[in-house]
Amino acid sequence: MHIPDGFLDLSICVIMYLATLVFWAFAFRRAKQVLSDRQVPLMATLTAMFFAAQMMNYPIVGGTTAHLLGGPTLAITLGPYAGLISMTIILLIQALFFGDGGITTFGANVWNMGIVGVFIPYLMCLLAMKTVKNRRGMLIGAFLGALIGDLLAAIFAGLELGLSRLSFPYSVPIAVTAMAIHHSFIGVGEGIVTAMIISVLWKTRPDLLRLPKVAPTWMGELPITPTASGGHPR
Amino acid sequence: MSQRRKLLAVSITISIIFVVIGCVWLSFSAETLDEVAERFGASESPAWTPPIPDYALPGFEGNVVANISIGIVFTLLTLGVVFSVGKVLEAKK
Repeated sequence: MHIPDGFLDLSICVIMYLATLVFWAFAFRRAKQVLSDRQVPLMATLTAMFFAAQMMNYPIVGGTTAHLLGGPTLAITLGPYAGLISMTIILLIQALFFGDGGITTFGANVWNMGIVGVFIPYLMCLLAMKTVKNRRGMLIGAFLGALIGDLLAAIFAGLELGLSRLSFPYSVPIAVTAMAIHHSFIGVGEGIVTAMIISVLWKTRPDLLRLPKVAPTWMGELPITPTASGGHPR
Repeated sequence: MSQRRKLLAVSITISIIFVVIGCVWLSFSAETLDEVAERFGASESPAWTPPIPDYALPGFEGNVVANISIGIVFTLLTLGVVFSVGKVLEAKK
């Protein structure tokens, strides 16, 4: 989903940079308020792990391949603003050193994978956990959030491509449909892996899931109920 | 071993496993966007020449050991950058 230079019109690139800039400003401001030495090691290790995971390409339909993004897991464990900062660093290293994603399209790529791809999973997880309590709710939210987040990120990429009439000679419906079909399969994979990682963390290190989230104040924390003994959440 | 060191050791081990799998077995990449672009006739016009294009060190294309080394080095770089950014943000709290 990394859009290279030349695929988007300059006007779309500028709009996407400006929109992303607003989120970067809020993310860094909130991180300064919430981030502590308890979250930083987890943030660094998870980000490095997903950088490595993005090197594994597994085959999907039509002879194409896909790889994990990691945004949903980062969002659910650390909060969407921390996920945005992590995804920004991954995408920056990929663009600067490997040419994976463009420089002019960096704002659009961060918007798709670092904002849509982290905020939607966190919101879905919040909604799921308010409907179905604790572990089951979190796993349902993790799966659906990753699936829908990935799909919406692809739809945004399709929109940006379709609206770039000078660079991409096909209309919005064609570009969106082409991206959405493939990414519905990719989203299922991301959803399964996200739910598996959250399930493992729930069983082995539930304390990590209870760390304060770097999220907008209106979103708040994921409602995880600790047991009376302070051990595993139910 | 402290919990923090254990977390670091486990995550670096898992990352190295991912890099090896990604370089040895799951290295073939044909991303959806590239396929869509090719079908629709869109072409790239790079604004920047990356030092390691497409994750392959110039002169060592197809060399699995070089690819694994690059993957490990940049995984550790990512770890260091995020840790440093996190520490800066934490310090300013």
